[in-house]
Amino acid sequence: MSHAKTKKHELKDVTEPNLWEGIFPHDTVPRIPFDSAIIEEIDGKRVTFSPHAALARDIHITDTTFRDGQQSLPPFSVDHVARLYDYLAQLGGPNGVIRQTEFFLYTKRDREALDRCRSLGHRFPEITGWIRADAGDLRLVKEMGLKETGMLTSCSDYHIFYKSRKNRKTAMADYIKVVEEALAAGIRPRCHLEDVTRADIDGFVLPFVSRLMELSESVPENQRVKIRLCDTMGFGVTYPGAALPRSVPKLIYRMTHDAGVPPACLEWHGHNDFHKVHVNAVTGWLYGLNAVNTALMGIGERTGNPPLEGALFEYVQLKGATHGADLRVITEIADYFANVMHIEIPPRHPFVGRDFNVTRAGIHADGLRRDERIYNIFDTTRILGRPPRVAITDKSGVDGIVLWVNNFLGLEGDERLKKVNVHKIARWVLDQYEIDSRTSAITDDELAEQVRIHLPEHHSRHHARSKR
Amino acid sequence: MQESVEDKVKKAVVKVLKVDPARIKPTSRFAADLGAESIQSVELVAAFEEEFDISMDEDEALAVETVGDAVTFIGKCVREQHEV
Repeated sequence: MSHAKTKKHELKDVTEPNLWEGIFPHDTVPRIPFDSAIIEEIDGKRVTFSPHAALARDIHITDTTFRDGQQSLPPFSVDHVARLYDYLAQLGGPNGVIRQTEFFLYTKRDREALDRCRSLGHRFPEITGWIRADAGDLRLVKEMGLKETGMLTSCSDYHIFYKSRKNRKTAMADYIKVVEEALAAGIRPRCHLEDVTRADIDGFVLPFVSRLMELSESVPENQRVKIRLCDTMGFGVTYPGAALPRSVPKLIYRMTHDAGVPPACLEWHGHNDFHKVHVNAVTGWLYGLNAVNTALMGIGERTGNPPLEGALFEYVQLKGATHGADLRVITEIADYFANVMHIEIPPRHPFVGRDFNVTRAGIHADGLRRDERIYNIFDTTRILGRPPRVAITDKSGVDGIVLWVNNFLGLEGDERLKKVNVHKIARWVLDQYEIDSRTSAITDDELAEQVRIHLPEHHSRHHARSKR
Repeated sequence: MQESVEDKVKKAVVKVLKVDPARIKPTSRFAADLGAESIQSVELVAAFEEEFDISMDEDEALAVETVGDAVTFIGKCVREQHEV
């Protein structure tokens, strides 16, 4: 077997470490630089997408916490909805990084919640509706005085034939009828192409969307029909070369190039059945759509929707700026979910879970002790109000315990204790597992008690300080 | 007769690692030959500090690999901290 000739690579020894601080500034969110175009082959043609052009567009986030999110949980109270809406306004900021949110209109409580949110007077997120493509449902939108509504326009044959018991022709005719009625009433329709990743793109989706674009030509720009690509079952994939209807890049390209949908009128809505929900959504920004539909904490039918907080961090990483979004509000919302609404957030859920920046391995704890940047994704204390923590088990080692004790006692700089100062506590922890065969993590209360026993002077000082 | 640094080091090693004193040679490596686990290395440093009433740089002390090197390192600390 022959080896291809490769360039000889010389080691460059350096006196200062290369920390790539332009990409990983630590005090702010990391950046995602692009140094090449994205290339796909579509219909036998080589197609180039420019990430820089994509990121110069008005990309943004939309929210479905009160619709798809709430649908997956027991109903929210009106107070919960109003508080979350207020949080969304703070989180997305005055420039509308979180641009819209959608509401059911069916029950008295749905409508009361919508009114309460509207009375708060926030410009963003704009309040829109969600209805079936049905004249009766459209009446609700008119009565609520909404300017835009999503409408369910299922487009796979699974839905057209087996759910709606129609054929393609009648389905399309029914959808178009409601769209025309909405446009006539001055309501902007947002057609939710349900199950698009299992649909016949050439045989149904393109004819339908092209017709919607034709209808849009006779209305003002702010009323043009929007298209939401709904990956209802999470079948979408972003792999270059993957075929339609599952290819996210090709779906978007066909919409923008073959049906003439402007990026400002195109949105992605996904589900997490194959663990692809976040990457499918945010990749859409790069391939030509402006809006990514999300829900707080990723709640939503079955496996959930793209987590809003994840999309927001992606936005900041891609754009290199928050554009007025206030990331610290994420932690307030997570606390509200957990403590007021009693919605369980998985402990390892990025950015919001109880353990998202908790390390258990002793060697990682040692890294954290030496320099937080080694094992914390960014300055989580500054950005999210969440200092990195160490959870103590038999894997934590003395490194983990000394970090926990220093954090608990609030010791900084030269005051920080060394491993040798906490060896008795470390021995107690290890004995819990080796002698007592314990299988659970050590609780903070247990460790605090060990600090009181083995480091009484430090414990008293800490106690006195925390009482002040 | 006053105990030597070497004798005191051996005594601490026997106490912390619970090994037969006959196994302890100047060339014995704490981890590879005497079986010191991570926590025991820290316990050894603590035992040396207590036995000799000294304070050692933790990273330097934990980097010492053999009994003989420990005797040298501790002897240096004792001279610096008690014979000024």
